[in-house]
Amino acid sequence: MRTSPRDRLWAPLLAIAIAIALALAAPLTATAAESDAASAGVDADYDPWQRMNRGIFWFNDRADVYVLEPVAKGWDAVVPERAENSVSNFFTNLRFPVVMANNLLQGKPGAAAIDVGRFMVNSTIGVGGLFDVATLWGLQRHNEDFGQTLGVWGVPPGPYLVLPLLGPSNPRDTAGIPVDYVLSVTPLFLSSYWWTGAGIISIVNARAQVLDEVQQAKSASLDYYVFVRNAYYQRRQALVNDQQDDSGTTPTDDLYDLNAIDDQNSK
Amino acid sequence: MTSMPSTTKTRSKRAAAALLLACVTALDGVPAHADDAAVAVVERTTSGVITILTDQKLSTDEKRKRVEGIVLQSVDFETLSKLVLARNWTRFSEPQRTEFMTLFRNHLSMTYGRNVESYKNEKVTVTGSRAETGGDATVKTKILRGGPGDVMVDYRLRQRDGQWKIIDVIIEGVSLVSNFRSQFQDVVSGGGPEKLLRLLREKNEKGEPLKSS
Repeated sequence: MRTSPRDRLWAPLLAIAIAIALALAAPLTATAAESDAASAGVDADYDPWQRMNRGIFWFNDRADVYVLEPVAKGWDAVVPERAENSVSNFFTNLRFPVVMANNLLQGKPGAAAIDVGRFMVNSTIGVGGLFDVATLWGLQRHNEDFGQTLGVWGVPPGPYLVLPLLGPSNPRDTAGIPVDYVLSVTPLFLSSYWWTGAGIISIVNARAQVLDEVQQAKSASLDYYVFVRNAYYQRRQALVNDQQDDSGTTPTDDLYDLNAIDDQNSK
Repeated sequence: MTSMPSTTKTRSKRAAAALLLACVTALDGVPAHADDAAVAVVERTTSGVITILTDQKLSTDEKRKRVEGIVLQSVDFETLSKLVLARNWTRFSEPQRTEFMTLFRNHLSMTYGRNVESYKNEKVTVTGSRAETGGDATVKTKILRGGPGDVMVDYRLRQRDGQWKIIDVIIEGVSLVSNFRSQFQDVVSGGGPEKLLRLLREKNEKGEPLKSS
């Protein structure tokens, strides 16, 4: 392999990824916003690709039920909860470049500075990220990715989209995936062998932490597909609006407008 | 929030000023901080639930029954049902509405009542509140599970007969009303009210036995 300096590799890759992201997100979401926002009423239900989505969703669920969930159950049985938390902390800490970069791209230098502080504290005192000391010290953890950044920039999510194995998404958030991959930097330092192994552990561990929650979601819903579709939409919306703030956490007010219902009633 | 005794006077003065301001703004119709009574309802409910959950003498079944009792006292279930069915509410006859409310309530208490078993000494704290346009109040809480595991839960309340009642629960930004509305909308538009009632009946009858994990 030729030895190209990493920083030289990094910049054009990022530029390309952003370009692709914008190119992908813009046309798809523009048509989406025009055609259906008014007629659908609830954006969360905008799902013109439902046939395909349901197929992929079904496939993903089988993959989960037959492969991921059993493995995660095994992991959960062997690994104590505290250790699971530490594994989760470790990978969260590694995501620091993604979170920080996106905070900067969203014009939140203060939050980005906190991310730097978190990384320094947790990597040292937190023993390589295994312990989230920073949160105890009041340095709040942030959840940011390029899909959210696009949302902050005003790009609408577009129609619901289920990705094979990756799960619920939309064109905007899908466009963010390659950008976050580049921003994560870590692949540049690790061979694909280690990277893959770490990725698998991270996924299994994350799944193990929500065994009960997924079970409950399945039994609480009449239609698990619609449950996930709606929850994904709302959750992403909340993350774009940064629900930590006091502003804009709740769903739109017309969700709670009984007059709209009663008006129809009197007709 | 810890208050030093020496500042009590200034605090009460400030409270009086705030009250006055609240009255003025209320007349103006400008949203201010949420009603203290709304916050009190959420505090009373969550602390009541935790008291039951931490009571060693109670059986799981007994805990579930008591928690359900407390929660139902604080929830305006009729409004919640209307909001969930939204424009479909008009497609339901009077008896269908009554049946829906019963089935939906049982569905909720069955699926969420299961959480009684998985309680692990989490504490709940109110982190803020705000008045919404139209008179509703939102009370923001956090379930403390240690650092990043904290769960943000917001409650939306509305006054009914002078009492604040919960009309929606929003977990990490996901509104229960919106979520069920999406699910029920699909069912009702496809098969009418009767199909939704049938699905709920079936779901409740199955009753999926409790698993202790």
